[in-house]
Amino acid sequence: MKILVTGSGGFLGARIVRSLLAAGQHDLRCQIREGRGGDKLHALARELREGQLEVVACNLLSRQDTAKLVEGVELIIHAAAGTRGTPADMMLNTVVATRNLLEAAVAAGTKRLAIVSSFAVYNTETMASGALLDEQSPVEAVGIDKGPYALSKVRQEQLVLDYQRRHGFECVFIRPGVIYGEGGPAMSSRVGIRALGWFASLGGSCLLPLTHVDNCADAVVAAALRGEPGAVFNAVDDDLPSCNEYLGLYRRQVERLRVLRLPYVLLMLGARVLRSYSLRSKGQLPAILTPYIVRSMYRPLKYSNAALKAIGWQPTISISRGLQQTLPTFRK
Amino acid sequence: MTLRIAIVGCGKIADSHVEQIRAVGRGEVVAVCDAEPLMSEQLALRYRIPAHYTDLDNLLAKERVDVLHVATPPDSHLVLATKAMQAGCHVFLEKPVALTEDETQRILQVAETTGRKVAVNYLYNFEAPSLELKQWLASGRLGSIVHVEATYGYDLAGDYGVAVLSDTGHWVHRLPGKLFHNVLDHLVCKLALVMPLQPVQVQCLAYRLRKAVGNPVIDALADELRVTLKAGAVTATAVISGHARPVGHTMRVYGNNDTAVLDYVGRTLVPAPRQTQPGSIGRLGPAVAQARAYARSATANVRRFWRHEYHFFQGMRVLLDGFYRSIQEDTPLPLPYEEILWSVQTIDRIVAQIPALTADGTQEAA
Repeated sequence: MKILVTGSGGFLGARIVRSLLAAGQHDLRCQIREGRGGDKLHALARELREGQLEVVACNLLSRQDTAKLVEGVELIIHAAAGTRGTPADMMLNTVVATRNLLEAAVAAGTKRLAIVSSFAVYNTETMASGALLDEQSPVEAVGIDKGPYALSKVRQEQLVLDYQRRHGFECVFIRPGVIYGEGGPAMSSRVGIRALGWFASLGGSCLLPLTHVDNCADAVVAAALRGEPGAVFNAVDDDLPSCNEYLGLYRRQVERLRVLRLPYVLLMLGARVLRSYSLRSKGQLPAILTPYIVRSMYRPLKYSNAALKAIGWQPTISISRGLQQTLPTFRK
Repeated sequence: MTLRIAIVGCGKIADSHVEQIRAVGRGEVVAVCDAEPLMSEQLALRYRIPAHYTDLDNLLAKERVDVLHVATPPDSHLVLATKAMQAGCHVFLEKPVALTEDETQRILQVAETTGRKVAVNYLYNFEAPSLELKQWLASGRLGSIVHVEATYGYDLAGDYGVAVLSDTGHWVHRLPGKLFHNVLDHLVCKLALVMPLQPVQVQCLAYRLRKAVGNPVIDALADELRVTLKAGAVTATAVISGHARPVGHTMRVYGNNDTAVLDYVGRTLVPAPRQTQPGSIGRLGPAVAQARAYARSATANVRRFWRHEYHFFQGMRVLLDGFYRSIQEDTPLPLPYEEILWSVQTIDRIVAQIPALTADGTQEAA
């Protein structure tokens, strides 16, 4: 089976390729963006004893190039997404790119798609504190109140479902929590944010829904190869630490931070003041933290990975081992 | 009269247009348009704009627009601006105004024949340091201008740099002057404040410091530019650097009476150090005077912040306010057409000297 992995040069995409090889899939087409992560994939291709690993530099914003990219592919694992830049960048690189891929896949008759989405699509604002976030939890109708990243991921899922209904291919969604590992981001905004030389600790005792990048890649591959059509899988590891625990480990092993702990009540008050100031000052300071975002991201929830375990996935790297391996790499 | 405003082109810069239009408060954004339906949809959704279109003709026919903001790539500006003015709209153009001086002149001719007004987003001419510089020039504080130095840092790892370097189809690669063509306005429009608006002599050096990635489109992009200019009796040097750190944005205007030092990152304008006492003791004074001048600039900035006049795109806000007032009250335009034309003519001359690069970063043989 020829499998296309988009975003193969990225933090997660590169691990998905390795996980596919480990799972015995040796006919891979790896899409990268020009100049991004191609060297490692080419080296991997040279090491391969059987099958083939093609590395294709292709911009998913080009419909013509994307049409060629999907030729002869039976399964697409779509891991490419816009995770940085302006809101327009995120929409372009996540939503427009996905639409181009869907058009190409439909034209080429691709049978199955696995879409790497995000926890950002969940409407956690309406959930009770302490509730369980699983695949049945509500999804944002638009996502706009959670910021541009959530908006782009919600719109991406809507597009996929729309195309799926019209064209009937199989698709599964994988929604990872906070992906961590060597080469990835060191600090999630769920733990806190840096401002004016301080680190504002926002997550407190809330669980941090981490998933090691290797575990997450295995989850994507398991869902792509074995997930029931239409299924959704949340990707989080077992034994999750709290945001405070993560911050404590980070401060001991990576860097000393001047920490300002903001309890939930103060955080909510700060978000209201910021929103009000942003309106009065006509955007002199952007309202990056709104009451909606605070209610969505900084209240305690529980997380489940039961759906993934039901299809045979197990995290191969424990949280303690993963953090022990990863945190020292952030010192660089 | 509240202006009915529309935006065509819903990419990165469109956000700042919506925000500044609303901050100015002289009009409302009634519709947005982009050939890519998902992009016009997202801008309308994020800013709760009532209508979005994929076709400008359709928008102009349905929305009774007073002002159209054109935030598309520059190779489309002539067609879109002409269409809008013929439909009765005034036009606010993102920089670069158009691909060439000739196209710019045609846009301004259409403005004249249709009786519409045009402005270009030369926002840095309306930032606090530039506005103060205009006062210094008007008061004669600098005397006759002798020379100008202007520098502009470009962060290749920033949002805009990454978008260009990772996408061979990005419109910047289609510009004759490539990366520089898209940012030269930031330098040249400021030179227009202080240089005689006469034809310019230009000498130019462009090269690439990045390592080649093996893609001919990406590798053809130079990232360092040095330009020497002369107009009348005034000379200038202009520098664009993709590698110098910190990423700066400065101008230094040398007069035969005094010299002004402008910093657009910190929004300061101070006089250059001047030794007024002899000997080594005389070398103590300038740094103290500089410290006091910067302290005054910093205090002025804090006051602006307090008055909510310190937005990241404050210059654009001031420019738009002047442009809309010019439309509503028939006052002079904030940006004279002569400055626009001189800027694009100068940019054309610089671009004509920017060489094509080979994969090893050197200039291609003629």
